[in-house]
Amino acid sequence: MEKIFRLSMANLKKHKLETVSLFLLILLCMLLLGSALGAMVGIKSIFPQIVQHTQSFENFIMVQEKVYDPEFKHIIEEDERVEEVECVDILYSMSTNYLDRQGKEQALYLVFITESNNNKIQNTEIVTTLTDAEIASLEHPIYMPYTMHDSMGYNENDTFDVIVGTKKFTFTIAGFYDTMFFDQVSGGVKMIVSDEDYHILSAVINNYVAMFYNDHQGQGGETLFYDLLDAMEAYSSTDVKSGIMAQVYDGVELGITYAANMVMALMISMAVIIILAVAFMIRFRIAGDIREQIVNIGVLEAIGYTSGEITLSYVIEYLLIAGAGLIFGIIGSFLLTPVMFHAGEIITEHRGSAGITVLPILLAAAAILLFVGLIAFIRARRVRNYPPVAAFRKGQGDHRFGKEHFPLRRTRSNVHIRLALKGFVENWRQNLGLTVCIMVATAASVFSFAMFTFFSGDMNAIASTAGMELSDLRLDIMPSVDAYALAEELESMPEVRKATPTAGTDLLLTAADFNEVMFTVGFSSFDVTENIFPSAGRFPEHDNEIMVTNMFARHYHVKVGDTLTLEYQKVQKNYVITGFVTSSTNGGINLYITEDGIKRLYPNYHPGTVEVYLEDGIDPNSFRYTLTEMYGRSLSDASKETAAGGTYEDRIRAEAEQQIAEMMANYGVSHVEYSIQSGDTVISGNSDAFQIASIMNIRDILRTQLAATATAISVIATMFVLLAAIVVMVILFVLMESTIRRQRKEFGIMKGMGYTSKELMVQLAMRIMPAALIAVISGTVIGVLSINLLVAYYGRITVNLPLILLLDAALLVFCFGCAYFGARKVKKISVYELMTE
Amino acid sequence: MNSVLHTEKLCKSFSSGGVQQHVIKNLDLDIRKEDFTVIMGSSGSGKSTLLYALSGMDKPTLGKVYFGDEDISALTNDQLAVFRRKHCGFVFQSIYLLDNMTVFDNVMTGALVSQKNSPELIRKAEELLKKVGMGEDSWKKYPNQLSGGECQRVGIVRAVVNDPQILFADEPTGSLNSASSRDVLDIFTELHGKGQSIVMVTHDIKTALRGNRVIFLSDGAVVGEYEMPLYGTDDLRARREGLQDFLDRMGW
Repeated sequence: MEKIFRLSMANLKKHKLETVSLFLLILLCMLLLGSALGAMVGIKSIFPQIVQHTQSFENFIMVQEKVYDPEFKHIIEEDERVEEVECVDILYSMSTNYLDRQGKEQALYLVFITESNNNKIQNTEIVTTLTDAEIASLEHPIYMPYTMHDSMGYNENDTFDVIVGTKKFTFTIAGFYDTMFFDQVSGGVKMIVSDEDYHILSAVINNYVAMFYNDHQGQGGETLFYDLLDAMEAYSSTDVKSGIMAQVYDGVELGITYAANMVMALMISMAVIIILAVAFMIRFRIAGDIREQIVNIGVLEAIGYTSGEITLSYVIEYLLIAGAGLIFGIIGSFLLTPVMFHAGEIITEHRGSAGITVLPILLAAAAILLFVGLIAFIRARRVRNYPPVAAFRKGQGDHRFGKEHFPLRRTRSNVHIRLALKGFVENWRQNLGLTVCIMVATAASVFSFAMFTFFSGDMNAIASTAGMELSDLRLDIMPSVDAYALAEELESMPEVRKATPTAGTDLLLTAADFNEVMFTVGFSSFDVTENIFPSAGRFPEHDNEIMVTNMFARHYHVKVGDTLTLEYQKVQKNYVITGFVTSSTNGGINLYITEDGIKRLYPNYHPGTVEVYLEDGIDPNSFRYTLTEMYGRSLSDASKETAAGGTYEDRIRAEAEQQIAEMMANYGVSHVEYSIQSGDTVISGNSDAFQIASIMNIRDILRTQLAATATAISVIATMFVLLAAIVVMVILFVLMESTIRRQRKEFGIMKGMGYTSKELMVQLAMRIMPAALIAVISGTVIGVLSINLLVAYYGRITVNLPLILLLDAALLVFCFGCAYFGARKVKKISVYELMTE
Repeated sequence: MNSVLHTEKLCKSFSSGGVQQHVIKNLDLDIRKEDFTVIMGSSGSGKSTLLYALSGMDKPTLGKVYFGDEDISALTNDQLAVFRRKHCGFVFQSIYLLDNMTVFDNVMTGALVSQKNSPELIRKAEELLKKVGMGEDSWKKYPNQLSGGECQRVGIVRAVVNDPQILFADEPTGSLNSASSRDVLDIFTELHGKGQSIVMVTHDIKTALRGNRVIFLSDGAVVGEYEMPLYGTDDLRARREGLQDFLDRMGW
């Protein structure tokens, strides 16, 4: 054994660069694999930890206060699948903003709850650096989910300005806490405020009742959820499903861990790419080494070494390299796992605690070691094909009898290209391996790059996939306001390019066949839309036509031409599906329907929303103030208007308007007339000034929602591209080094004939270019197909082809550059030494 | 006759383990145009070292090598490669054909490094191959399918296909049997007869007889020089005795 070990060590010392390259690649592979696996185990434990330490309820159904009936709680309680129920008041708004550090308004879905109510649904463990006395001295304390600290960078004692309409409510952050629901910036964050502040906010933000229930850790699932809704509707004879918000246990778990697990899975796939590259390098290196050492192998066999022992020496050589790489990789994994886990915490927007998990890392290391040993064994076994005499004759490796490729007599232009092509064909096995490696690296790069450009390209990506209109401002108008008249007025303003009445977000229709509540996207005609793109079929034109999203179509296996039954307030009608829409919003449950189509179910339907598209250069946030000045005020602005200033009559009017706002906001009042007599004066008015219920900057909302995704994808994409570049670079360096060593004599002869080092370097680099070209093209196709496969669920996503082609060109240049640079050792070949050796 | 190459105070040293070995010492030498110059000397006298320094295969440690008026000792490695492709042809003892190329491609590899492909070039390569006895049936063969003599003939064609101003040969018959050696030397003689300048290193008298000028090296310096008429124009026996006598005086 010792003699075999000595052989291995001798080989290791001989090829230092290749040894170091392999060592580094295996180290990197182990680092990625180990830390990703370690982090994944940790991330998996985050959700159970949240459940355990928050003692939170597992599911909730949230309905508007005006829809809620106390009997609903009994309905839930009476279901045998339910363990426990608690109902609490909650404030929720999609149209709230906050001021960021630069004082700019940013959109954020906000939920407000009092501390006592929050304690009813979970164990609120506050983490704060402030003392009790300091918290007590705060005028408007607010407690936020951890994500506001970890992702958004807020700290204790920071002020947090909530904007509702044109009113600003300033809070001071008193601490942070963990929660299972409304825990993510992208989906809404639950703020705990004092009872007094809650009362003030309740006048301007929609009031809901949240019914929390436990069902033995999600055992009831969606079935229980829909059964409960059906029971509530049956009891109340009202459309409960429209306007609800809900989350069930499994969905919460998936929502928390999905993105982080995706990131880790991508890291693991990068590790797999690296191990593929390692396999290629081992195969290539052993093949080259056998060819180079064939005479020595013959000598060893002649003096009594068996081919099995020589094979074993190769296996040991690579096991030693792999072992060293793995040891350092494992150490690195232990160090990197906490960092990756913390990244996972940021992505999940939760905190957890995870120790170092040794077993998965060790298992991964063992798998890599086994893989390396196996690859080395398979390749090195070829030694047995060379008994001593064959080995002394250099096998048949240097003897050629085959077909001549690219004969030089047919050279038309550059002899170097011709010679490079000859070299390419002669080394086709090696180039096949190289092609696979570059192809995989290209596919990974193209995939990452495409995703990166797609998500980081401002709103274009969102606009093309949202499946909803992305106007500059979305106005929810009062029920009494004629959306068409308002749109016409708005369009007459120079700042407005277009104003389109639509159904808005409040109208929910149920797909009765699947018991699925759907968000209605309704227009008089879809010709006016700008961001809704059918991926199949056409827009609905008649009152019995609808479109659904690709996600919906795939989930429920419906086709264009199928009939779907829609239900609203117990009325059911059939509709024909005319097409599918690319949509990544609202979980794919958007329904596209004409106004006439809606009126078949809801004859009194009037558009409740106006999408406002502004001219280029008009700032939406400034223009919303212009709107509130022009149309009196929005409902939410008026409700918190101070009644302290102005004349007596002004104060009376202000108080009246505030009362009107509260009635309209919370009790569904559509019109108010008032007359107040004070002495001889009669002060009268009505609610006509309240035309706008709320104004949303929908782009800001989406931007905030997707910011974390875009950041995560850009980080991963950069990492992927860098890693792919490193892998390709190392492979090409090693390949060039081995080729030069193997063909040292040939290059020496050619130098003697007058070929310069640079010409030979170009030849060597050109040799790999056909493989690189094939690899880059096929890698691009695979990358783009992968993207399409991934996003096909949403619909059609346009890949930025010119940019991808630019990336391909850059990759080819990179490959050429690496090969050219890697071939620089050809300069060291001395013709003189070669001739005299 | 004009000088095609000349050296001034040419020195070449090698160092190994801190020990300097001076192989060529302050050597001044003229290589004349259209001469068949034979460099002889005992083993370790610096014959091959001189040949490679003259041909731009290697750089001198000190001194200069002039090709016409151009000092090639000051050129970079790549400039030397360009010099070699333009002006020199090489025939090696170990032949050094490219194993992975056919006979014809071996010749074309040498040709295309300095010329563009053309029907004339192909025709020339074909004619040269035929002239050295390599028929068309051998053109697609690989070196391992040829005898040593055949390989060397291909090597000579490859060396002369570009019409080099000087043909360098390092023991060109060193690895050949006597019949093959004679064939190869006949080719050299024929080339010389047509005005080809040749510089050849050999330790074989039969080979040296083909030259018209013999330079004897000892310990890195030229210690003697012997001139002969053009091969085939004099009595071979007298020619041999004359050369033998010179070599005896040189301590051969």
